[in-house]
Amino acid sequence: MSPVTPPEHFDLAGKKAMVVGAETPVGAAIARAYAEAGADVALAVLHADDSVMRAKRLQQEIEAAGRKSAVYVMDVALGRNVQVTTRQIAKEIGGVDIAVCASDLFLGKPIAKTSDSELQQVMTYNFNAYYFVARSASEEMKRSGGGRILFVTHVLGERGLSNTSAYGAAHAATQNLVRSLSQEFGPQNITINGIATGWMDWMTDRLDESDDDAGRAVRFTLPRRAGTAEDVAPLALYLVGSGVGYVSGQIFHVDGGLTQHL
Amino acid sequence: MTLEAFRMDGKAVVVTGSGRGLGKAMAKALAAVGANLVCAARTPEQIEATVAEIRADGGTAIAVPTDVSKSADVDALVAACVAEYGRIDVMIANAGGGGGQAPPEFFDATDEYFEGVLGTNLKSAFYSDRAASRQMVAQGGGGVIVNVASGTALRGNQQFAYPTAKGGVISLTKSVSTMLAKHDIRVNCIVPGYVSQRPADSEQEAEVRRNRGIRVPVRRLGEWWELGPLAVFLASDASRYVTGEMFIIDGAGLAGGLAPVSFAPQHEIGAAS
Repeated sequence: MSPVTPPEHFDLAGKKAMVVGAETPVGAAIARAYAEAGADVALAVLHADDSVMRAKRLQQEIEAAGRKSAVYVMDVALGRNVQVTTRQIAKEIGGVDIAVCASDLFLGKPIAKTSDSELQQVMTYNFNAYYFVARSASEEMKRSGGGRILFVTHVLGERGLSNTSAYGAAHAATQNLVRSLSQEFGPQNITINGIATGWMDWMTDRLDESDDDAGRAVRFTLPRRAGTAEDVAPLALYLVGSGVGYVSGQIFHVDGGLTQHL
Repeated sequence: MTLEAFRMDGKAVVVTGSGRGLGKAMAKALAAVGANLVCAARTPEQIEATVAEIRADGGTAIAVPTDVSKSADVDALVAACVAEYGRIDVMIANAGGGGGQAPPEFFDATDEYFEGVLGTNLKSAFYSDRAASRQMVAQGGGGVIVNVASGTALRGNQQFAYPTAKGGVISLTKSVSTMLAKHDIRVNCIVPGYVSQRPADSEQEAEVRRNRGIRVPVRRLGEWWELGPLAVFLASDASRYVTGEMFIIDGAGLAGGLAPVSFAPQHEIGAAS
């Protein structure tokens, strides 16, 4: 292995990236960062609604910077759809070297009030989607001799909180998927890592501005502010760089110290 | 915008233990993104060589011989950084070492052995973090501290004193991060697994490394230079919302470890047992 210096590590020129959940603030910030670093970026959105329009605007922004980009609708409820769309992306942008999954669906309810279908939906968007993306993307990466997989998950996957049993369990599953697949993909030069976010400024689904307790939760962070998508993007870039091959199987927190203090 | 966050132009950075191995690799990586370096270690010849390499690449660096197990030495190191660059922005508390073999029986370990290992590996981090943060606050706040621990701290190990000291470094990182947050100083910790300190100097050595690498999930040992990009991420504004964290770089070792890496159960659901 030849040493990679830091500026070279952060250069993604010629790399092909696929970002699932590109319509979310964090997905969009990561896609932008990869394009800025030189990658062509496929933008996969989870729903055929106004997400497509948002992703189209991002596509134009990326193309204006001189990179290739395209928008895809990916139904993450169906493994077969994820597989076919991933194949299509690989054919159209020239492979998949980097795959990010930033799918997310929050549910805040006591277990007694959570229906079967709500549990199923939460598992679909917070776990199954990740499983399917890893399964399909790793097949593309094996064709080209390796790659980088990155999951955007949440610290609720490793800590308990009332009314988040389904959501937290799904993210816990996703986080252990990182650990299991790091072992399975180890010999194939595919690294897999996770970024666990904390209380982020776009998470109005769990940080209702009219709820005083939500403000108190944000003040649990050491900088006493909610995180932003731009806080996540640099780590998302570090974790897919050319010199990061010895980092795998880890979940890194971008949470303002939330999980590290009493 | 994102790429800019990794630049460190004009930042004053101290790296302890930068005469060789991981510390040297981190110092060179930080210089490559524009930082001004203070290279510290006990052996002057080694840090002078690091400084010469940084300067040859067009960077800025000075060497300050330091014994990090002595608090007065570490205070003088930070003072030397301020004398040269006017301030300190980043402390990489990397110096440490094994301290020799632990006795085969735990109860035979001497006070001197345990205290020596704690001095080199844990007290040194305390002295470094304290001296750096004192100066950072005096110059108006803001700054970054990166401690270097070891993957041995997270699982049991027969050398016991070294993992214990490094476990202390991880704990120190978390506590100090809570105390320095109000001064806008972030504190994080790098946790390396099996990482080679330098290129193999013989085919025999390369063979030894290949054989050890087979036991790592990614099927190789890490290399010194792989710490460079991580040091840049943690020392720069790229990690602005990250504090109190450990960054494990171990080829997926700690993510597994329940069986030999080649063990992969095969069982179909519904298959006849």
